[in-house]
Amino acid sequence: MKAADILSACVMLFLAVVVLISTRHLPYWADFAPGSAFSPFWVAAASILVSCVLVVGALRRQSHPPIDWPDRQGLRRVLLTAGGLWAIVVLAPVLGLVATAVLFMLFLLLVVLRRNLWPSLLTTAVTAALIYGVFSAWLGIAFPTGLLGI
Amino acid sequence: MIDALVSLGNGFGVALTPTNLLFIFIGVCLGQIIGALPGLGPSAGMALLLPITFGLPAATAIMMLAGIMYGGMYGGTLTSVLVNVPGEAASVMTAVDGHKLAKQGRAGAALSVSAIGSFIAGVGAVMLLVFVTPPLAEFALRFSSPEYFLLAVLGITATASIGAGSPVKAILTAIFGLMIALVGTDPILGSERLTFGMTELLDGIDFLPVAIGIFGIAEVLSSLERSYDSEPIRTRLRDMWLSAKDWTACRFSILRGGILGFVIGLMPGAGPTVAAILAYVTEKRFSPHPEKFGEGALDGVAAAESANNSAAHGALIPMLALGIPGSASTAVLLAALVLQGIRPGPGLMVEQADLVWGLIASMFIGNVILLVLNLPLAPVFGALLRVPYEYLAPGILVISLIGTFATTLSLFSVGLTLFFGMIGYLMMKADLPRAPVVLAVVLAQLMETSLRQSLMLSEGNLWIFVQRPISIILLLLVIGSLAVPMLGLLTRRRMERLRRSEAKISIATK
Repeated sequence: MKAADILSACVMLFLAVVVLISTRHLPYWADFAPGSAFSPFWVAAASILVSCVLVVGALRRQSHPPIDWPDRQGLRRVLLTAGGLWAIVVLAPVLGLVATAVLFMLFLLLVVLRRNLWPSLLTTAVTAALIYGVFSAWLGIAFPTGLLGI
Repeated sequence: MIDALVSLGNGFGVALTPTNLLFIFIGVCLGQIIGALPGLGPSAGMALLLPITFGLPAATAIMMLAGIMYGGMYGGTLTSVLVNVPGEAASVMTAVDGHKLAKQGRAGAALSVSAIGSFIAGVGAVMLLVFVTPPLAEFALRFSSPEYFLLAVLGITATASIGAGSPVKAILTAIFGLMIALVGTDPILGSERLTFGMTELLDGIDFLPVAIGIFGIAEVLSSLERSYDSEPIRTRLRDMWLSAKDWTACRFSILRGGILGFVIGLMPGAGPTVAAILAYVTEKRFSPHPEKFGEGALDGVAAAESANNSAAHGALIPMLALGIPGSASTAVLLAALVLQGIRPGPGLMVEQADLVWGLIASMFIGNVILLVLNLPLAPVFGALLRVPYEYLAPGILVISLIGTFATTLSLFSVGLTLFFGMIGYLMMKADLPRAPVVLAVVLAQLMETSLRQSLMLSEGNLWIFVQRPISIILLLLVIGSLAVPMLGLLTRRRMERLRRSEAKISIATK
């Protein structure tokens, strides 16, 4: 957990620097009121201070509980699921959002989670019906359709 | 008091319409199921289902979402008792004793006392809510921008102070939430901030992708790490009867748990999980048989379950009266109000009386429905636990992404949701609390606008924050909420050092 604490603090330090640099062109004080850079400045300052406290605390603490990383099988599941989710965003304009989501479900159930074929098909069909029923029919949402037209 | 009862009567008029009754039923059923699903808490469930409520009138949507919130408290018990996996964090203490009772053939008694305890504590908390919320909202009408700024700060710092885990990490993640909220257009001067040239970010980062990502996607990803193919312990309807001896042993546990839970629920940041743990620990002290705790104590289960449901209802008071969410679930509820075009705050009780009193009345109805669902129908819901979680997870992920798209009609928001989902997952691994991020995103705009308005009024003079007694009290509470955990941390370190030096001396003398 020591490494995780230090890494978290470093990320927040980096973000604080990004905030400070990105808002440096904005006024800190405009006439007689705080300007657009006022809040970013204090948020970044607080981030730097608290990140330093976290680093010092992590370095001084004697006992550190280990990070609860998944085992190999678990990591494979998480990475493939995350990859599949990002594929939805990339492929949705080409194949259509609902079609991509259905493909993702089948990929997740059959390839990643290795579930039985028929229950997986049934689950996917029920979810697709729910999406059409609630979002398309009831709420009238028009999803990106892509090449397949669905 | 009479005014409150009259308003409550009107609220029942709103809640008892067929459409609202149907959606209260749907909400509590979904809450029951979400609570029972390991790895998916009520706040995540509410965030995931938020987009579905867009086609509904505001009052109906809020009643349904609130139903998920307190329904989750009931549902979490099932998995804790029958599978020994807490369905949601607030049921963690129930899993300790509830499952031991189930192994002793007393699953029915554990489920029964949980349902009855949750019902009594829930209804009691709603009764208190009826009488506490209106005067608090009336008092809060005197607040001006300095008080609002301090109240928003208190909402964030108290999360760090009272919530379980490291206060430093909680404050750091709250700052991360504030950074997210800075993206977009300055609410006062209209300048572009931290958009990095992306037009999609001009309107800022909406609450929904953050909440769905950090709670929903992250929790589903984390739950996919391991398989939940387990055989839940079976229970039958005839096992659900509670004997007179059991009831006598548990009635005061329910009362103590309910009162403690309500008080904890009122505090920003504490929430049902802290309430359940504290009620369990307190009950162990009061119990005539503390040795049974951890081995199957029915009164321990009763206290923890009463406390978590009471806290879930109590947390609504600061949200309804002040517009300040005290927990992750109420933050989602507050966001739902905003998405429905309703401005939260002390004026809510007057401007949206039908909605607020309808919501309060719906909680009486919802608790009755949940009691029915959890007493005679507990074995049916228990059977649902046999459906492997792996079949549900893909559907949850897909519906949450489709829901995000439906809200914004933009694939950019879907990507943003996934981005926050990945961040949420890494936060879980790094043991960083996620609720402060969401609370900060919700409270950031109120915090920034009221701070800048205050300084505008005082022409930059900070004395405006100590000019009125209310703001002085709030400022002291903010300082206290920051100082208490720091002092606790320093005391713990000093004790650790002392123990280590004592151990060294004893080794040396040996």
